[in-house]
Amino acid sequence: MPASINAVRNTVLAIANKNNYGYISPQDFNLYAKQAQMDMFEDYFYQYNNWINRENARSSGTGYADIIKGLEEVIDSFSVQAFLAQLNPVAVPNVPSGLSGSAVYSLPSDYYLINKLYRYPTRRISGTTSNSIPNSTLLIDTSQDFFTTGVQPGDIVINTSATGAAPYPATGVPGLQGWVQNISNTASPAGSSIVCSAALFVDPAVAGGEGYAIYDANNIVEVERVSQRKIFNLTSSNLTYPTPQYPCYVLDGNLISVYPTIWDGLNDPFTIGDGMGPCDVKAQYIRYPRNPNWTFASLVGGEPLFDQSQVDFQDFELPSSDEPALVAKICQYVGIEIREAEVVQFGQTEEQVDTQETS
Amino acid sequence: MAYITDYEYYENNQVSPQDENWGSYQYVTLDDIVNNFMLMYQGNNELINNINRYQVLFFAKRAIQELNYDAMKEIKILQLQVNDQLRFVLPPDYVNWVRISLYKNGVLMPLTENIQTNWSGAYLQDNEYRVLFDAYGDVLKPNDSQLDLDRITGQKKSIYLNAGSPYNGAMGYLYEGAWYFDYQIGARFGLNTETANSNPTFNINKRAGVINFSSGMAAESVVLEYISDGMEKGKDSKVSVNKLFEDYIYAAIKYSILNNRLSAQEYIINRARKDKSSLLRNAKLRLSNMHPGRLLMNMRGQAKWIK
Repeated sequence: MPASINAVRNTVLAIANKNNYGYISPQDFNLYAKQAQMDMFEDYFYQYNNWINRENARSSGTGYADIIKGLEEVIDSFSVQAFLAQLNPVAVPNVPSGLSGSAVYSLPSDYYLINKLYRYPTRRISGTTSNSIPNSTLLIDTSQDFFTTGVQPGDIVINTSATGAAPYPATGVPGLQGWVQNISNTASPAGSSIVCSAALFVDPAVAGGEGYAIYDANNIVEVERVSQRKIFNLTSSNLTYPTPQYPCYVLDGNLISVYPTIWDGLNDPFTIGDGMGPCDVKAQYIRYPRNPNWTFASLVGGEPLFDQSQVDFQDFELPSSDEPALVAKICQYVGIEIREAEVVQFGQTEEQVDTQETS
Repeated sequence: MAYITDYEYYENNQVSPQDENWGSYQYVTLDDIVNNFMLMYQGNNELINNINRYQVLFFAKRAIQELNYDAMKEIKILQLQVNDQLRFVLPPDYVNWVRISLYKNGVLMPLTENIQTNWSGAYLQDNEYRVLFDAYGDVLKPNDSQLDLDRITGQKKSIYLNAGSPYNGAMGYLYEGAWYFDYQIGARFGLNTETANSNPTFNINKRAGVINFSSGMAAESVVLEYISDGMEKGKDSKVSVNKLFEDYIYAAIKYSILNNRLSAQEYIINRARKDKSSLLRNAKLRLSNMHPGRLLMNMRGQAKWIK
């Protein structure tokens, strides 16, 4: 459960308001809350590294004494999986690393660190839906007999279309990806419909149908990060050059260039035209925490009344156990604002005690 | 990779080629090796951490290559006809040869390597024996040297062996299947056993990528047994290694990585090295298939009198 922003604010006000002049406006509190949360969020990664070193020195236990497990859980709560948007090579002719633009993807804007990129190298089939039924989980393509294409239950189904209920290239949109539940027995012609896990293809208004691609879900390969310094050595070596099974990428600003650039898993060996496509690369990354926002609806007795039903309300995303630490950090900022050294000192002392206890 | 069903094993789910999975259970794939190593041997609490997958891939491939050179005994066999230049072009995945045989009249006849060279390069020379050059300063070369021409046209001598013939052991010319000899004058001294064989001989020009045969081999069928490096022409998904070597591969990767680490203590490297070499020895023993029954058959001849 995340730390309650209202509880933190109330505590901070209670500490700061000892002489009845320590009132903090909601705007200021939100600024301090953001700073405090970001500071603590980053601190999690350093703590994680520190505890790994301690674990290797046998000064960490298992079970309830497994501190790393708790840290991992908090960090993983910020984990996001999303398809990366493919860059239009026409729009950006000077793609980085001298690559073909078709293999360049842009990273999500909210990422803190990319943990891994991966892709499904075995594409069973791709095409365009011939019909769509609103609110239906069916993928209908009357030009296909899915019984003969090797499609299996559990395979990944992706709506690659630029329009419809799953707009592309937005990442992380629910409904963009699902899996095959079964091939419908009642479809006409036989084998032309797949029952998906979600309503992925639901917009009959899309001219020419929506694009789809079906991948073997059992074959997932990680796209490995390679430094700019090594990439050309890597691609020049017979033993290490990137292949569909061992792809890699380099980072250029907010863009990644994926190697190999021409392969979609349909042909072996490669043929020209087997270009990387949209929805070919997926990222698992740790995002930044959202900015906390304490919201109010009206003033009651000169005091803003907390209202979490506001559209822009955002609670803390760190766990409840971090409330004391958040209070301590915010108190340090607040103490500066109201020129109250004791508040600053209280915050610092609390933080030091907390650090001593947890390290 | 998941285990496959019996149907998939025998029929490959009716997908061509249907024999794709036959015998596959003997092998572990490169993908499995790399994946298992990354999973089990590297991490925050393991001996090895902070390595890239491509490093593991490289060392895994190197270990597989080394195994293919000798320990694995994975011999490839190719049958081709020799062209009229008496050349057999080496296969694209050739690394070294094991045996070269002539297949004739339903019989496989192992051929002997002629260590006396039977091929050569040549430069064009003028009538004063000066080397000729082109406009770019590069030396001009003929298509064939005199040595090659003599071999191809059957004018190069070789030893004839036939116990029932008066020409047994004599130097002669094998031309289009028939032997020709010079008129004999004086005594003949010592047989050169290295080249003494009635079958044609061969010599490998590694740089040119061809096997050069002695005359008489044009259009003959040759069976080449050779070893490759197991890299399957770059198709990583096809690269595999016998399961008996699986632990050795992990140990070899581990050793290679630790051996290149700046901070690895010497005793750790030594432990990894010993681990690697003992596992290789174990795997070789296992692969040698020393069965008591087979030993017993050999030992039956122990009381035989040697004449």
